[in-house]
Amino acid sequence: MAFVSVPVYGRNLRDKYGLEASKCTSCGFINFPSKGSCRRCSNTEGFTKVNLSGKGTIYSYTIIGAGSAPPEFSAQQKASGSYAVGIVELDEGPRIVAQLIGCDPEKLKIGLRVEAVFRKIYEEEGVVIYGSKFRCLSKKQ
Amino acid sequence: MLTSYRAKGQVYHGCLWVLKRLAAIVGAGQTRFGDHPDLSVKELFAEAYREALGSVDKGLDAKKIKALYVGTLGVGGYQIGNVSAALADHVGLRDVAAFRVENACASSSFALLSAVQGILSSQYDVVLVAGVEKMRDMSSDRAKYWLGVSGDTEYERLAGMTFAGHYAIMATRYMHEHSVDKKYLSMIAVKNHYNGSLNPKAQFQKAISLEEALKAPSLAYPLNLYDACPTSDGASVLIVVKAELAKKFTDTPVYVTGFGAGSDTLALHDREDLTGLRATRMAADQAYQLARIKSGDIDFAEVHDCFTIAEIMAYEDLGFAKRGKGWLLADDGSTKLSGRIPVNPSGGLKAKGHPIGATGAAQTYEIFHQLRGTADNPSRQVKGAEMGLSHNVGGSGATATVFIYQR
Ligand SMILES: CC(C)(COP(=O)(O)OP(=O)(O)OC[C@H]1O[C@@H](n2cnc3c(N)ncnc32)[C@H](O)[C@@H]1OP(=O)(O)O)[C@@H](O)C(=O)NCCC(=O)NCCS
Ligand SMILES: [Zn+2]
Repeated sequence: MAFVSVPVYGRNLRDKYGLEASKCTSCGFINFPSKGSCRRCSNTEGFTKVNLSGKGTIYSYTIIGAGSAPPEFSAQQKASGSYAVGIVELDEGPRIVAQLIGCDPEKLKIGLRVEAVFRKIYEEEGVVIYGSKFRCLSKKQ
Repeated sequence: MLTSYRAKGQVYHGCLWVLKRLAAIVGAGQTRFGDHPDLSVKELFAEAYREALGSVDKGLDAKKIKALYVGTLGVGGYQIGNVSAALADHVGLRDVAAFRVENACASSSFALLSAVQGILSSQYDVVLVAGVEKMRDMSSDRAKYWLGVSGDTEYERLAGMTFAGHYAIMATRYMHEHSVDKKYLSMIAVKNHYNGSLNPKAQFQKAISLEEALKAPSLAYPLNLYDACPTSDGASVLIVVKAELAKKFTDTPVYVTGFGAGSDTLALHDREDLTGLRATRMAADQAYQLARIKSGDIDFAEVHDCFTIAEIMAYEDLGFAKRGKGWLLADDGSTKLSGRIPVNPSGGLKAKGHPIGATGAAQTYEIFHQLRGTADNPSRQVKGAEMGLSHNVGGSGATATVFIYQR
């Protein structure tokens, strides 16, 4: 029983692979992930596509501990013990949830700079699911 | 102006309309929450149903019940379709219109809301509200699989998020914005475990110390096992009647005098603020307005504490504390059984247990007994309570209800 079916996953591949956002032509707000309406003005049509830089800062985070991962992530958790998930505020404005990698769990903090990297997320029933994770940057980046 | 308020059943007291009776609760039942390997969902429902019928002081002929509103998520898919008719059938309720209401962990409070609306529409006089869930039969992988279905599946789930993770992300942000130490979250667990230790229907009837609460294994940093509700089996049932008919069934009905509901984005990354729940504030505003009261009038409350941070946010969203100050109520004892405004005298989701669909109606079960002065254990009776509030949240705040009750 795959959690996200291939067609469901495939429908917003451009968001997931290319960090493609929708800029509202009515109010200018950058919406990511794209959805049926503008988050600021509720406009439902008229968007232009823009690609996000993938850079941002940690807005909040958690570390999913031993034994509590959803089933499709149990393999990852068994291998690493735990993994970090954060809400990242992208430099263009929108926020997105993703796993955080390359950060020392002890030093994870709100406000750290991160950058999107393309990664395999998990594998279920022979289907590989790709997407973005965010990697901690050194202070200057 | 005054005449427009002169609805049937209202009481005029000096120059104040003190009660706006929207519907009355005249009976309530609840199974113990926890492990029930020997009972099916139908049998759990039947047990709570029999207790509810038996609790109607002057008796109720089941043939008078014209509608059944069932709240359930259907964790594990035990009966995906028509579960409400299946339950009615099991206890021989042949004359009801059966409805199923699903809003994740808030399912049965939304069922109660629909029931009150059904009564206010004048279509029904006597209805039944039920909440049921069977979670313990499943392997923990399957339970986690099903629980995740109530969140945002496209992005949060793809990031490996869990419900504990959602509330953990809110907790991290809350602690950051308000410079709050984790120990104040654990104090909620200590209080609710103590209350649960006095509740014969609670899953965990064991008090814990602050040290134990702080050193439990991490679930989703900064939350640990003792910050979380468990998975549970259970059922709860309420008998709701038209306010004007209440005294036919009991001399001590509990009236619903206000209610409200709100919703919000599923995904946390779509919310401007993560330190409170907008859906709760919407629901509370409506409920207070309808009951024409202020948060300060509430004597005690059952709030949605699926994770400890949720209770602290509820204090603020319900107006018991200012934004950013809810954690102070955990510290100064205001919300203990003996405090100024006891919160979760039942032990809350944390200690009483959280069979998803059964939780909302079980909060009302607790309030029904507290307001009538019939708490099963005198040591946990809230003294002199006249006005109670229940607060139930679906998922990580995508839906919420608030109800006000008066004697
Ligand atoms: C916390 C959680 C992961 C624990 O699951 P688990 O390890 O499978 O738990 P088990 O039922 O097997 O219990 C194992 C032990 O931990 C204890 N325990 C389990 N959950 C507990 C909790 N929430 N608080 C305190 N103790 C708990 C049990 O009493 C048992 O102890 P014992 O062996 O001494 O009797 C699970 O309860 C959970 O997922 N809770 C959250 C449910 C949820 O998200 N609901 C929706 C909310 S929005
Ligand atoms: Zn717009």
